[in-house]
Amino acid sequence: MRTLLAALAAVAACFAASPSSARDVEAGRARAEPCMACHGTEGITADPSIPSLAGQRERYLQWQLVFFRSGRRANEVMNALAAELSDEELRNISAYFASLPRANPPAGPPDPALRDKGKQVAARHRCASCHMDNYTGSQAAPSVAHQTRIYTDKALRDYRAAARPSVGVAAMNEAAGSLTDDDIAALAVYLEQPE
Amino acid sequence: MAKMSVLKRSPGIAAAAVAATLTLGAGIAAAQLKSYDSSKPSFWQNAPPDWFLGDETEEMKGLAPPVGPATPTPLAELQDNLKKIKLPPGFRIEVYASGLQEPRQMAWGDNGTLFVGSFGAQNVYAVTEKDGKRNVTTILKGLNMPTGVAFRDGALYVVAIDKLLRYDQAESKLDAMPQPVVVYDDMPSYLPHGWKYLVMDREGAMYFNVGVPFNIGIPPTSTAHIRRVHQSGHGELIATGVRNSVGGDIDPRTGQFWFTENARDWMSDEIPSDKLNRIGRIGEHFGYPYCHQGDLPDPKFAMGRKCEEFTAPVLKLGAHVAPLGMKFYTGNQFPAEYRNNIFIAQHGSWNRRKYQGARIMRVVVDPDGKNAKQEVFAEGWLTGDQDYSGRPADVLVARDGSLLIADDWAGAIYRISYAR
Repeated sequence: MRTLLAALAAVAACFAASPSSARDVEAGRARAEPCMACHGTEGITADPSIPSLAGQRERYLQWQLVFFRSGRRANEVMNALAAELSDEELRNISAYFASLPRANPPAGPPDPALRDKGKQVAARHRCASCHMDNYTGSQAAPSVAHQTRIYTDKALRDYRAAARPSVGVAAMNEAAGSLTDDDIAALAVYLEQPE
Repeated sequence: MAKMSVLKRSPGIAAAAVAATLTLGAGIAAAQLKSYDSSKPSFWQNAPPDWFLGDETEEMKGLAPPVGPATPTPLAELQDNLKKIKLPPGFRIEVYASGLQEPRQMAWGDNGTLFVGSFGAQNVYAVTEKDGKRNVTTILKGLNMPTGVAFRDGALYVVAIDKLLRYDQAESKLDAMPQPVVVYDDMPSYLPHGWKYLVMDREGAMYFNVGVPFNIGIPPTSTAHIRRVHQSGHGELIATGVRNSVGGDIDPRTGQFWFTENARDWMSDEIPSDKLNRIGRIGEHFGYPYCHQGDLPDPKFAMGRKCEEFTAPVLKLGAHVAPLGMKFYTGNQFPAEYRNNIFIAQHGSWNRRKYQGARIMRVVVDPDGKNAKQEVFAEGWLTGDQDYSGRPADVLVARDGSLLIADDWAGAIYRISYAR
């Protein structure tokens, strides 16, 4: 158990130190004021349909803001907000959220049968090969653990439908391409607390 | 950050994950390795969603292609990075243009416009110079991985995943590019290894790669080769058994086509080597999937074939160095001994626990492929074990004989020049 916690702590420390071009966490905090209304004052949301950003992979955050800014990822609120961002602001905001402590699992014990099914789906589709065994991501993939099932469900459906773009070579569009609705529902429950 | 390598981290997590699994009593271990076998028809009836990535080994678990910065690196930081680049005496490197999203292949227009393709950004750029100042404009948007560009007879050619397009009189229409003519589109639509490099010879024949849409397996029809398409539309397979090639050039001494090739992943950090190849005879088979690096039968897919049956590389370039764009040096600025040498942009590893590459190599070799030697020409874009400050993707000789480098990680183009 101590080994697991130590390992998780080591991984968590990795987030905060993600390298990027010229980022300023303090400037990011200031510029991220408008974000807090939806994403929370600590980057942890109260609205289950909105993702927590605290402790997310820095480059993943940058890419999502770039996609929102260009419209490649469609969302009325985010498209409008991101349109105003300069490259520098975008980098600073990403650095800020990446530096925050990650959200705990959403409250409420999951349905054990559904959670187990989600674990099997994740094993079959090899999600851990990019998102790592604890689903906190790597430099290749974002953290997907501890998001609410509502958000994760929508994210996977959007990837499956190619309604949102994947960074790199369409990886998530392909990876989610063959998931069924039941697979997605189960995965969404499992990823709330994959530990 | 990325100083903390995956290798150091994973044993602890793997052990912890196994411990957690036993504690929770779940049936399937979280630490399951990926593996697949595409040699059976049943595979294709239900292909796993990550089939293009490849088998995983315990030794190399956790490796995946790293995601770069989402915005181009600011100029000040680029200049800082360039201070760390090592070059031979007399050479210097500077920023030629910055602020491009994922620039890839470069090509000169007749009037000095530099056209640049891109990887995932869907764009084609034009870099122009006015009153001593350089401007970058996005002249095309919304294309499907338009990595390859070429220029001939006033027209810009762009090759996307499955379309070869021609934009006539491009240089005079940069502000409002014309509708393209579809020159050729008889290509598969696979995205993995489907992005292309475009070379044109004096007669206007177009050379490009069609890569295999996965790591290792029996290539689907219409993949794993270099194709040459004539202006008449007639296409030929001039090289087969080629896994994934994103760079090539015509030897000015002989007219023969040479190309770089990326070898398979998930064998080990050290094998197989990536390759520099020469087409001596049209239709030659370069070994994939049966034989790698000229002398290494594939553990699963050799299927009884012998490496002697195939054409070996001119030079093994190193394992997981990712050689991409290449050019024969035809300029007059560099010292005479550089004439007709090959410069190769190495993009750098992802499937290696300690990345290598991310540099420009110089290859000296006879026209018949003999006596090949390579040395580092420009290096210093690797930071730590698994991160980059830049990743070279292409090289191009400028009119004044300097060498341009496209870096799709930092979003910039550099210029290497020589002064006595």
